[in-house]
Amino acid sequence: MATAQKKTPAKPRTRMKRFFQSYGFRRSWQSALTVFLVLFFVFVLLRLMPIEGYFTRQDYEIMTEAQRADYLEENGITGNPVVLFFRFLGNLFRGDLGMSFRIQPNVEITRILSEKIPYSLMFGIASMGISLFFGFALGMAMAHYKDRLVDGAGTLYVVVVRAVPSLIYLFLIQIWVTGFFNIPMTYSSKDPSTWFLPVISLSLASIAWYAIWLRRFMVDEENKDYVKFAKAKGVPQKRIISGHVLRNALVPLAQYIPLQLLLTISGSLIIESIYSIPGMGGLLIEAIKEKDNGLVQSLVMLFSVLGVLGVYLGDMLMLLVDPRIKLAGKTDGE
Amino acid sequence: MVNKQKLLMAAFGMLLLALTLTGYAQSGASPDVYYSTYTTDVTILKQYYVPDTTGKKVIANVMDGLIENDRFGFYAPSLAESWTHSDDFTVWTFQLRKGAMWVDHSGKAREEVTAQDFVDGLRYVADPKKTKADVSIIKNVIVGLADYIGLLQDYDKNRKGAREDVEKKFDELVGVKAIDRYRVQYVLASPTPFFESFLVTEIFLPLNQKFVLEAGIRYGTSKEYLLYNGAYYLDTWQRNKEFVLVKNPHYYDKDKIAIQKVALQKVADSATNIEMFKRGQLTSVSLAGNQIAFYMDNPKWKDFINLSEKSSVVFWFFPNFRSKNAEFSAFIQQESFRKALYHAIDRLILAQIYNSYDAEEMLINTILPDDVIFDEKGNDYTSALQDLKDLGKGTYQPELARAYFQSAREALVDAKGMIKGVKPGKVKIGSLVELDIDAKLPIQLVYTHGTSTDETQMALLLKANLEQVFGKENLRVVLAQYTNNKYETVILPGYYDLCYDSFSFKYADPFAQLGRLVTGGEVNDGGFSVPEFDALVAEASSKILLSERYQLFAKAERLLIEGGYILPWESGGGTYGMSKEKPFTAPRGGFGLSRFKYKGIVLQNDPVTKDEFEKLKTEYLKELEERKSIFNQ
Repeated sequence: MATAQKKTPAKPRTRMKRFFQSYGFRRSWQSALTVFLVLFFVFVLLRLMPIEGYFTRQDYEIMTEAQRADYLEENGITGNPVVLFFRFLGNLFRGDLGMSFRIQPNVEITRILSEKIPYSLMFGIASMGISLFFGFALGMAMAHYKDRLVDGAGTLYVVVVRAVPSLIYLFLIQIWVTGFFNIPMTYSSKDPSTWFLPVISLSLASIAWYAIWLRRFMVDEENKDYVKFAKAKGVPQKRIISGHVLRNALVPLAQYIPLQLLLTISGSLIIESIYSIPGMGGLLIEAIKEKDNGLVQSLVMLFSVLGVLGVYLGDMLMLLVDPRIKLAGKTDGE
Repeated sequence: MVNKQKLLMAAFGMLLLALTLTGYAQSGASPDVYYSTYTTDVTILKQYYVPDTTGKKVIANVMDGLIENDRFGFYAPSLAESWTHSDDFTVWTFQLRKGAMWVDHSGKAREEVTAQDFVDGLRYVADPKKTKADVSIIKNVIVGLADYIGLLQDYDKNRKGAREDVEKKFDELVGVKAIDRYRVQYVLASPTPFFESFLVTEIFLPLNQKFVLEAGIRYGTSKEYLLYNGAYYLDTWQRNKEFVLVKNPHYYDKDKIAIQKVALQKVADSATNIEMFKRGQLTSVSLAGNQIAFYMDNPKWKDFINLSEKSSVVFWFFPNFRSKNAEFSAFIQQESFRKALYHAIDRLILAQIYNSYDAEEMLINTILPDDVIFDEKGNDYTSALQDLKDLGKGTYQPELARAYFQSAREALVDAKGMIKGVKPGKVKIGSLVELDIDAKLPIQLVYTHGTSTDETQMALLLKANLEQVFGKENLRVVLAQYTNNKYETVILPGYYDLCYDSFSFKYADPFAQLGRLVTGGEVNDGGFSVPEFDALVAEASSKILLSERYQLFAKAERLLIEGGYILPWESGGGTYGMSKEKPFTAPRGGFGLSRFKYKGIVLQNDPVTKDEFEKLKTEYLKELEERKSIFNQ
């Protein structure tokens, strides 16, 4: 895709060479390597955890030392970590993450995740859609009406949302809004009226985040010479904003969008807790607290892989949004 | 013609009336869904091990045993229609009702519950590899059970031969058998007149062996991997979210089940709970901490707050007889010092931290709870200790405490002011605190407390209380803190001089508690040894006639209390709450699962007021007395 910019088609070999030397390819293999290393180190480090976490509480209590040792060996906990790691990778490709030992004893981790992820994902994506829409709208409005009433009100909103501990306003929103509209206080999959508040609550902070950064970048851009030049040339204000200012201001924000989208999977501890949503929020914390090594391993791996993937996709998105980046590669000196 | 018209009009009028009546009946009908919440998640749901209340609530309602407690606490038939015992109370035979079914999570009937299911249940409980269970309470009650468990444990240690061969010995060793399809018999190791009280616990629940084998390690991990035989089946179980129990259409006693559905939802915050109750989204709610004071002063809600019944759990203080703190160790051996402590602790002030309105009612002066054990004449076991009970909050007598302390001091402190037999030096109480032992007064007393506000407040109060009574020149309380599990980090290693804990009562015999307080006993956490007490307990437990048995147990209990080995403090339970549950319709029982059942509970549209509660309480107590007198005839 890096070659898309070339006007005359290159010879296949040069194209191949260019591809291998391109920024996109480099980022791809770097990411793959990072993922591999993360998986490996998480796997190896978890073998150093206290062994209780590899047993259900009951099994651990009733087994003798010798039985425990056998069990650990059978289940691939003790032994050569490299061999074990590749065996684990094999299982991983077959979709087998092993069992949870403490949080939900004797239940497959894939089952736990497949039950919980949809909730966090649904709420996360809905809230991200809302945040992007309202956040950008607010940001643009604030930039457009800089130092006017809209800007002031927007700033007030951003300051309040970011300065007041979220627990306070989230809780008050729950009590007041459900009371005012007379709807159930907690989430229920059967009652759509309970779906809105968690999404809105999830969006409040990110709307503020998108708005304040977009405003800032747009104001920066608007003061740049090329904008002044375009204005002087007589380009309509609307085009300047949509074609130049907005596009350039979005570049630094675009990088984070894929990452944020992927990490919605991890859920929200506070919101899932106050609305009783059985999502992923707090699962990792709970797993660590209960020393459920199998689950900790899977979650840490999942989140770090998604993290790496998110950054990678962010960079790729930058390639699309910002043509200058394609030129940043070593060989692209044209 | 006219007649026809009249008839038609009359019929129309009747129809109208009927419609109005049904309409009226519908609008006035009492609710039939019980909405409640829980805070801690249930990780696995096997009927024989339910450590948390949520799990107990679910298991108690989806599984029935042989017998259960009714709303007066009497034993009533459940899956067993009737039962008999031999004259010496060692052979108990239960006649099961026909047609009781195992149902699955969709309410579909699977198989009949048979006598063999009870045998298989005990087989499952006895195997430590299959389930964790509180099997120690019945280990020595049923013939051969302890031997069988011992064999399995030996096998697991040495692993010689096949485990199946050991498992096969169950039928010949253990005193339980299915005489026929509907009769199960237990043979006990010694006369056990109180055997019924074991049967209401989870340990004697039946089990469908075929289903459990099919499920394998997945048994109890989700609603699909469980079978039910209780008043309800588990319709929904989503971890971190909810349990929904739906009335079992095949239940033998289904006409008595007024509540059609029980919905338990996980709600993390207690403030949310109350808010939900106020909006009518919950059937009942309990209040804790500051909420009590807030709603007690709230004109709109104060009339709806009622105190729930005390439980059979007892909190008591116990001194550490194996303390590393030499000063305390020297004194605690003195009976006069122990008596001084008994009279010095102001239990009422401490109880007020947890209940500022009815703290005095929560105090208890005996090791065993009231109103739980009765002899053959219907007399409460604790009536033999009436003088102690009558003391109430009056165990706190600072003058008497100082006098006792004086005599301990005279016995232990020499003319130079040195405590006899104590060498000066430094001593570490775990990693909690380091003491400078100077072998002089004041004695240092280590009190280890948790980090919560209540616990900290209690520790500070206790410190002020003891130092005020004895004077700082005589006794100084050193406070230490623990963060994790109290039993494992404080009690077991002995990192305390004085400590309290809660003790639950497991079956209807004083032995349940006193038998575990003998030298080296399971709940003898302070590590005392009173040979006279041990002998009394042994003698008492050999008596079959209850009144005689209880007399001896009471004598033993008195020894521990008057000797200052155990300092009873307060009862468990007794929480404040608001509820739309009609009071005294729920099953009642000091132990076992019956009290967690929704069977029999009737709901009403509005929260129960104080007046209603008191009125129903009086009626209930009257009825209870009548029942007792009938029972004793």
